[in-house]
Amino acid sequence: MIKLENIEKYYANKGLKSYILRHVSTTIQQGEFVSIMGPSGAGKSTLLNILGMLEEPTYGTYEFMGEDVTSLNERKRIELYRNHIGFVFQAYHLIDEMTVAENIEAPLLYKKIAAAERKSRVADMLDRFNIVGKKDLFPNQLSGGQQQLVGIARALAAQPSIILADEPTGNLQSAQALQIMELFKKLNEEEGITIIQVTHSEINAGYGSRILHLLDGVIKEDLQVAL
Amino acid sequence: MFKLNFKIALRNIWRNRTSSLINISGLAIGLAACLLLLLYVAYEWSFDRQWKDAEQIYQVMTNRESANGGIEESSWSTGNTVGPVLKQEYPVVKAMARMSWDAPTLIANGTNSFKRKARFADADILKIFSFTFISGNAETALSSPGNVVLTESTARVLFGQTDVLNRTVRFDDKREMKITGVIKDPLKNTSVGFDYLLPWSLYESLNDWVKEPSWTNYNWTTLVRLDPQADVAELNESVKGLMERHEPDAKAAIFLYPLYKLHLHGDFINGKPVGGKIEQVRLFMGLAIGILLIACINFMNMATAKSERRGKEVGIKKTIGASRGSLVGQFLMESLVLTAFSAVMAVVLIELCLPYFNGMLGINLSINYANAAIWLGIAFIVVLTGLIAGSYPAFYLSSFNPVQILKKRNFNRRMLNFSMRQVLVVGQFSFAVILIIATIVIYKQIQFIKNRPIGYQINQLVEMPQDGTLYDKFDLLKHQLLRSGAVTSLYQSSATLSRDGSSFWGMEWPGSTEADKLLNFDQLATTYDFVKTTGVKLIAGRDFSPEFASDTAALLLNRAAVERMNLKNPIGTVVQYHGVSTTIVGIFDNFIWGSPAKNAKPMAVAFNKGWSGLITMRLNAAHPPAENLATIERVVKSINPAYPVELNFVDRLYAEKLKTEKVLGILSNLFGGLAVFISCLGLFGLAAYSAEQRTKEIGVRKVLGASVGSLMQLLSVSFLKMVTIAIFIAVPLAIYIMNSWLKGYDIHTTISWMIILYAAAGTLMIALLTVSFQAYRAARANPVDALKYE
Repeated sequence: MIKLENIEKYYANKGLKSYILRHVSTTIQQGEFVSIMGPSGAGKSTLLNILGMLEEPTYGTYEFMGEDVTSLNERKRIELYRNHIGFVFQAYHLIDEMTVAENIEAPLLYKKIAAAERKSRVADMLDRFNIVGKKDLFPNQLSGGQQQLVGIARALAAQPSIILADEPTGNLQSAQALQIMELFKKLNEEEGITIIQVTHSEINAGYGSRILHLLDGVIKEDLQVAL
Repeated sequence: MFKLNFKIALRNIWRNRTSSLINISGLAIGLAACLLLLLYVAYEWSFDRQWKDAEQIYQVMTNRESANGGIEESSWSTGNTVGPVLKQEYPVVKAMARMSWDAPTLIANGTNSFKRKARFADADILKIFSFTFISGNAETALSSPGNVVLTESTARVLFGQTDVLNRTVRFDDKREMKITGVIKDPLKNTSVGFDYLLPWSLYESLNDWVKEPSWTNYNWTTLVRLDPQADVAELNESVKGLMERHEPDAKAAIFLYPLYKLHLHGDFINGKPVGGKIEQVRLFMGLAIGILLIACINFMNMATAKSERRGKEVGIKKTIGASRGSLVGQFLMESLVLTAFSAVMAVVLIELCLPYFNGMLGINLSINYANAAIWLGIAFIVVLTGLIAGSYPAFYLSSFNPVQILKKRNFNRRMLNFSMRQVLVVGQFSFAVILIIATIVIYKQIQFIKNRPIGYQINQLVEMPQDGTLYDKFDLLKHQLLRSGAVTSLYQSSATLSRDGSSFWGMEWPGSTEADKLLNFDQLATTYDFVKTTGVKLIAGRDFSPEFASDTAALLLNRAAVERMNLKNPIGTVVQYHGVSTTIVGIFDNFIWGSPAKNAKPMAVAFNKGWSGLITMRLNAAHPPAENLATIERVVKSINPAYPVELNFVDRLYAEKLKTEKVLGILSNLFGGLAVFISCLGLFGLAAYSAEQRTKEIGVRKVLGASVGSLMQLLSVSFLKMVTIAIFIAVPLAIYIMNSWLKGYDIHTTISWMIILYAAAGTLMIALLTVSFQAYRAARANPVDALKYE
């Protein structure tokens, strides 16, 4: 599904190149649950951003679903966002002015899905995440864990084939973090959604099927997690 | 999508109540000011355009030759012969009407008598202007000398109803007239306004001088309706020699000028139109646009200042599949919703302000809510404003790259977008400072010309029209008034002392040349006691006096006339005045008759009871004015019972001279103030946001030991810098603009450095107050609150 070849990312500063990523090549198959790990500054988030086409690599090629997406125009990128990629952020990034239900509905609106279908999908999500009673609340009225649930529900509403999660539990207490990880695992196993997450935590990484260890922009280790 | 965006827009407005309020009220004030000015502009613009086929109506103008062969003056008036000749010789002239000036004249239904504006006109006037007849018809309404046409409001005043066809009214306490038509009141913005219309034939039978054909007695307006196919340029070429052919001595030529242009483009230099009131209209349009732009800039600044908060939303939406177009749409929608709120507030504001505005400008504007065009106009301006105000933030915000915002680190666009905001704020304040300086200069100029010595004792001077029997019984009136003690002296005159009314040329004196015949003199005709009553300063000679029977052929001149005529020994000199040998008996010092901003013209005061139409009295200072007025009214009523007694203080009439300047002063004052207010509102909002953005920085600085004072300085300095730059941009511009305005006056004040200093200091002061309020609040906050987060 994803094929990275010789991805490099650096910033030129006063003639000096400071590398964020170097010679990153890897392939991620449909249905994998990959955790990207590494110390601060290793380039985890940059790698995830490149995977999410939020940043462009300085060098190298990136194929997404068999298509070269290394430098994509905005229209096509938006198409991919609408149909294939769901984002989950550490800081949740819900839209403050929208209620829970509206937040979940938003990607469906951009996808131009008919009203009836939208309603049923939103209801389905609310139901599934057990937040029906909170559907008319605004994000600032929810706890962090609840907000992240909404964030995931929003990412799932558009039925993406891949979820990119940047430290999804970074701001959460451990019990809530556990719940989120369970959810990811279930999504991955039951619905076959590809998940790529950046995480600091060994425990979280343990939920996945594969771990990429990043150090100073280089993939040091590529482990399959024993089940 | 639309519904959700709409809902979110409302939530956003509610969430940021303070900034929304600033935005909405700023925009509302801007819109209200803009609409108010545009209402005025529309009023002026549609002057004389209310008639059907208004572009076929022309006024006959007269170019008078000057001594050097150029054109001295393009006069709006003509003699009484030119119209009929035009009609007769040129078939493209479909209708022609001569018309007298509107003079308030008595009209009565029994004892129910009022002074209303009357005009005499040829019957064809009803074919030139498309009056709407409520009763009667245009064909016959003015066909015989005993007919009169009333406006609807006149009919209501006299009869309480409009169904008055064939009833009679008494005109000027002299004649019974049959009402042959009632017309709907024409809109006020016309130069042919009247309250009732009388036939020209009556005019001629009442006045011998009207009956007498004359090419050069420039006393009347001549209007024509041309054939739609007429080639006006060709026609004008052909009528050029008309007066020359019929009256070779006239030294004048006529031309036709579209009536609807006359009001706004009525100034001529050397026979060519050079604008006129249109300049004021343009100025107002500029003001309207300027004020609205200032309000729009506020909106843009507030929106982009909020970008950090909105940026996150943009980033998220982009990652869940929002296209740039849909984001632009959302932001535009928000600004349109806000503008719609402002529009509602603006209409309320206008309704509240209109009476005052009308009162100040002496006009009668109103929003006609039944008129779809008005709604369309308002809607158009609102949508335009919303789009202008919203476009920059919309495109700016929607351009954000999601990763930069979502990463939240190196949020480094501040430099760039701050400089754009700076430019806008500088622009805003430049405009405001220009308006402030303009206001002060205009005010100073008004004071300057208002405080010029007038040249006579203007206080306690009262005038009234010499109506009805007063002309015949003037001696009795004089006797009784003087005996009553209310009046110390009085005289009859042809015109008021408060403004120039009449001029003549063709004076000859010892040593005058042929060209001197074209020298224009102000002319006033009086009877005895002119100098004594007015307090004009006599330099040489004496006033007219009954002791000299020869005074019926005597003349008083002003100093300017003597200087211009170069008379060494003026008293006793015999001159040819209107072709009659007349002796100069007195010289008086110049007094202000025309514009107080112009140098005095040569003036001749003649003795001629026959021309008199006005009585001017000096009140006895020993009694209170109210008591004097009551006494005068009683005496006059007893002599002339049919007419109401109309007493006017000359100083009040004089004050009306400065009306144009006063209007300009009021408007620049009002809108200058608004511009400053709206600009400061924007500054207030920006300062609040800047303080909010820098909460953390302030917290850290406080922990490090910064004082409140130094923090306030930190927060205020950048804003004051912008205002200072604005002042430096605005001052030279304002000096340039106001100097060219002042050049239009012969006598004018100068722009002193004090004015500039006042304006600059005042603006800075207000800006400082605005900003420091926010800065103080931010600086006083507890650092713990700021540093707790993150």
